[in-house]
Amino acid sequence: MKREIRIALTGNPNVGKTTLFNALTGSRQHVGNWPGVTVEKKTGKASRNGCEFEVVDLPGTYSLTAYSADEVVARDFILDEKPDVVVQVVDATNLERNLYLTTQLAELRTPIVVALNMADMAEAQGDPIDYRRLSAFLEIPVVRTVGTRGEGLQDLLDAAIREAETSPHHEHTIGYGNEVETLIATLVDALRTDADLSGRYPLRWLAVKLLEGDENVLAMVRGGAAFPRVEGVLSSIDADEYEAAMADKRYEAISAVLPQVRKASFREMSPSDMVDRVVTDRYLGIPIFLALMWGAFELTFTVATPFMTAIDTVVAWLAEFVAGSIEPAWLASLLGDGIIGGVGSVLIFLPNIFILFLILAILEDSGYLARAAFIMDRPLYALGLPGKSFVPMLVGFGCNVPAIMATRSIEGEKDRLLTILVNPFMSCSARLPVYILFAGVFFPEQAGSVVFFLYVLGIAVAIASAKLFRSTILPGEASPFVMEMPPYRIPTAKTALLHMWSRGSMYIRKAGTIILAGVLVVWVLASFPFGVEYGGAESFAGMIGHVLEPLVAPLGFDWKVAVALIFGFIAKEIVVGSLGTLYGTGEETLPTALLADPGLSAATALALMVFVLLYTPCVAALGVIRKETGSWKWTGFSVAYGLVVAWILAFVVGHGAGLFMGGM
Amino acid sequence: MMDGTCPLALLAAGTEAKVADIRAGKGMQARLFGMGFCPDARVKVQCADRGSIIVSVGDARYALSRGIAMKILVGCAKETA
Repeated sequence: MKREIRIALTGNPNVGKTTLFNALTGSRQHVGNWPGVTVEKKTGKASRNGCEFEVVDLPGTYSLTAYSADEVVARDFILDEKPDVVVQVVDATNLERNLYLTTQLAELRTPIVVALNMADMAEAQGDPIDYRRLSAFLEIPVVRTVGTRGEGLQDLLDAAIREAETSPHHEHTIGYGNEVETLIATLVDALRTDADLSGRYPLRWLAVKLLEGDENVLAMVRGGAAFPRVEGVLSSIDADEYEAAMADKRYEAISAVLPQVRKASFREMSPSDMVDRVVTDRYLGIPIFLALMWGAFELTFTVATPFMTAIDTVVAWLAEFVAGSIEPAWLASLLGDGIIGGVGSVLIFLPNIFILFLILAILEDSGYLARAAFIMDRPLYALGLPGKSFVPMLVGFGCNVPAIMATRSIEGEKDRLLTILVNPFMSCSARLPVYILFAGVFFPEQAGSVVFFLYVLGIAVAIASAKLFRSTILPGEASPFVMEMPPYRIPTAKTALLHMWSRGSMYIRKAGTIILAGVLVVWVLASFPFGVEYGGAESFAGMIGHVLEPLVAPLGFDWKVAVALIFGFIAKEIVVGSLGTLYGTGEETLPTALLADPGLSAATALALMVFVLLYTPCVAALGVIRKETGSWKWTGFSVAYGLVVAWILAFVVGHGAGLFMGGM
Repeated sequence: MMDGTCPLALLAAGTEAKVADIRAGKGMQARLFGMGFCPDARVKVQCADRGSIIVSVGDARYALSRGIAMKILVGCAKETA
């Protein structure tokens, strides 16, 4: 008979939970969202001894108090979905704090298996843990695992099978001392009268949470049959007192066990602390951070170049092949101009994006990104942004789609929304081809400085917007900074590559589908009504351009630029390709055509680059903004705000430059 | 404030102390307990140069904003090194 066992993976942040999840499920994963919240839900499959496992990766939490969305998700899943086994991943080098969560899980009366992860590191530090004794003390199976090397996975699954089949489960809970226990007993008696609650939740756990003043649990009890008696008990005590006392008891129980399972050791300054001395130094911290970031970008572009050239060659060859060998002509145009040209212009950035993600994965796995967030906290805080917003901002230089997804690590809703709204101003790599074209044609001597100016302008607009939103639509301060600094580790190639792949493939899937749909629309607009010149003035695209021309005329743009900007809405690099189409040239001769156009001056080109930098996020980014904010209103706001800012600044920059250079 | 206690935020880098009390809001308090900041826990300030501080408690290191570090009271009369 085939058995199905559902495992929930839980644990503190930074204990190697995701690595263990990847090792257990390999490529058999599915990433989605928990219903109603923007917390990532990862599920995967594994099998062992004829058992099929569904593994659910719960968000990392320090406790089961419903404080952040992550904690609510983790707690509700265990309580309401009742997985067959809860596997708590425990960092063997940080046992005391990790076991605190174990004491809370035990109260949920669910079968538990502890995966004593990073056991190799604890051993290497001369602090091996006797996991068999630990298991005996906890009365919970403990399995030694090393997620990065895949050690102990089979034992873990075997233990999960055994626990799933053992019933009933006795409670292995902490005793809180006479006074608290009496209160718990009274509360349990009262709660028993509420048939609905007692059918769904362990009563002792409810009582403990009530004493701790947990507002979610209080809300569950409110209105039920037990509420009057519960309220009577709670109003006679000072809950604040008990919460601390109970936390104390848990740690007391843990510290009674610890000396039994490991050599009492008080580590002096670890190598991690010594590295921290340097990288968080008051004077050295920021230069080191900037040097690393500069190195990351330098590597991204130099390593990616040969790959980009290769992709470009293949795409160009394919487009030519299709154009030359497929009948009828309209189909060749659809495939060549539309699909291959459009999607190809986006695929060319894949090497950039994958390499940037690989570098970020290495920095993250090594533990440095947490330090970078710490270093950047103060400057960002002054701008009203949380320190954790710095990673999404950085990723934004690659592509805003994964950058906006990366805002999930930011806790406060307002902080997160703010980071999402200003993110599109970080100049993504799709905008670079536009700068390269126009800066190269109109500012051949100062091209590098012009491109640099655009990046700085983007950052400045992001900062000014953050300030503006903080004082208007999203008032308040960035939420206080609490972040764990995991010990430095040497990242393994496998985990870094997996990390890169899971983010990068998201870009291919999400952006790929939207962009494919987008280029089809462009092709249709540029090709119809039937018989017109592709992208000519008579086509639908041309008509739209003429309608919009008055709107952009003050910026010095004509209808062709208007059309290109509309197409750029699908993906900004398409601006270059569409201008090529509209000027009736390939991309190689486009510079000549642009220079020859009397309507385009250097000042106009500058205005155009500023406009492309700032105007509405592309369709793919908007799709993610919609998904992550869950609101059409904020998505619409992002479009409108970007357009207005782009128009104003393009006007100012264009006319300002026109005064100096003439010819606006 | 109790006798002989002061906020963690005011300790200099390198100082060790014992947590005396935590005066944070409900949710934050529970999280701090879960992170290992509970009465009698030994903490050490690793870095206090910036807007936030780095504190070690047990084998873990955390960056805490000063606002939160103000809410963690530590015994400082005898324990300061």
